[in-house]
Amino acid sequence: MKEAIRVKGLTYSYPDGTPALEDIDITINEGERIVIVGPNGAGKTTLFLHLNGTLKSQDNTVMIFGKNLDDMKVEERIKEVGIVFQDPDDQLFMPTIFDDVAFGPINMGLDEEEVKNRVKKALSRVGLEGFEDRVPHNLSYGQKKRAALAAVLSMEPRILILDEPTANLDPKSRADLIQVINDLNNDGITTVIAMHDVNALPTLSDRVYVLNGKIVGEGTPREIFSNSELLKMTHLEAPDVFKLFKVLTCFGYDCDTLPMSIDEAVEFLTRTIESGSGHIHLHIHEHTHEEVRKFLDSYNHH
Amino acid sequence: MNYPEIDRYASIDSPIHNFDPRAKIITFMVMIFSFVFLDSITKALVGLGIASLIYIIAKLPKAFVIPRLKVVFLFLSPLLIIMPLTVDGQVIAQYHSITITLEGVRYSSLVMIRALSAVTLALIMLGTTRFDITIKALYMLKVPGTLIQMLMFTYRYIFVIMDEFQRMWKAMESKGFKLKANRYGLSVLGNMIGMLIIKSYDRAQRVYHSMISKGYTGNPRTIVNFELRTKDYAIALPMILIALLMHTYHLVL
Repeated sequence: MKEAIRVKGLTYSYPDGTPALEDIDITINEGERIVIVGPNGAGKTTLFLHLNGTLKSQDNTVMIFGKNLDDMKVEERIKEVGIVFQDPDDQLFMPTIFDDVAFGPINMGLDEEEVKNRVKKALSRVGLEGFEDRVPHNLSYGQKKRAALAAVLSMEPRILILDEPTANLDPKSRADLIQVINDLNNDGITTVIAMHDVNALPTLSDRVYVLNGKIVGEGTPREIFSNSELLKMTHLEAPDVFKLFKVLTCFGYDCDTLPMSIDEAVEFLTRTIESGSGHIHLHIHEHTHEEVRKFLDSYNHH
Repeated sequence: MNYPEIDRYASIDSPIHNFDPRAKIITFMVMIFSFVFLDSITKALVGLGIASLIYIIAKLPKAFVIPRLKVVFLFLSPLLIIMPLTVDGQVIAQYHSITITLEGVRYSSLVMIRALSAVTLALIMLGTTRFDITIKALYMLKVPGTLIQMLMFTYRYIFVIMDEFQRMWKAMESKGFKLKANRYGLSVLGNMIGMLIIKSYDRAQRVYHSMISKGYTGNPRTIVNFELRTKDYAIALPMILIALLMHTYHLVL
């Protein structure tokens, strides 16, 4: 498998000397879905700014598809890595939506026809057909968020980086956006996402990095969420479904792997019930309550 | 929230609205310059008449133009008092050592009339075009890129900053703050404006990052499709001609 991103020994301090990132090592393969989690101020945004060269790293620390990021031309860089930042008002800086979505392609030096095509395609991809002439301040937050994504998709990057894509969205907008991101990944785009939304995390990730100034954990969502020590240390929590099924095991529910999402839960339950005698058996014995409490305590921040 | 949008009535259908934006800017600029250099009250009044006529053709609502003209009037009204008292010339009224001169009255009225017609024209120019189109027309007219970008960002972020101000204001009101013209009120207001500047500075940083990540290299580049048609010439030529004739008719007639 091809390596999309390789970060080796990335260290960065803010101009005032505060250390932000320390010796970061990350390897992401092409087509992978990566989620980066970490407490507020863990350096996620700073890390992202390094991945497309907005912030310069010293000595060859960031490689994109085997090429040194610092040696790449601007046009080449934005063709490989697109970043969608958290606040859409920071990214829709042109007078109209068309201008915003066309901004990247124009900078790539594409001809007018191609630019218009890409704008159309990108807007329809996020469900904002016909929004070309609208001005950003008349859009809802969810629409702005999608427009910001379209403004990056129009550059057709092979790696898509999203900073908190689901934050502050209503459930419908959130579900729509997750769908769009997963569709993009199915088309072969490598997605790297920073998020706090643990219930959405399993649907958006194959692998998780836990960042807290440095990389403190790495693994599948299941591995990360099973490590309650790590979660506590980095102010994170596990998805509710995951915790619920862990509680069920205390009541005697028999399963080897815990489901991460509601869909998975349905699937697992069905399988368990069918392979049993058409029902599942739960019971309370003398240690049940203690086990439940112990488990919940291990995930509790208080 | 109620934004003071300069282009709120840009979607009305009128000959001025349908005028090619580039031709509109050039034509109106020529007229504005012509009108502010008129040297007699009669001519200036004719200019104001023409500006009013264009205003009627443009079908802009009164509520759009009048309040804005009021501001200009208030801003210039001190002239109406100061100039008659200070300009030398034929005395038309006297009270002890205070004299009012005819020249003073003339000059101040001339300044006022010229200003009102120029501002009326500018308002029509800006009010009949979507502001982003105005910016693009300026871009096509080769106005320096730095200026274009300043206009563009001002237009884009004035609303964001207003929202931010509103949010802070509501937060303060919800904690019981009432603005009074005392030391405390002013200091709170000062803090708030300071906060707004810091927030804007942070935002500018983030916007710049997102521009860099889309390949920004310092030049504004955009795609514009404007096409000059016969009707644009048909509007532009007579208007420019009028503007020129206001200064040269004595040579022609």
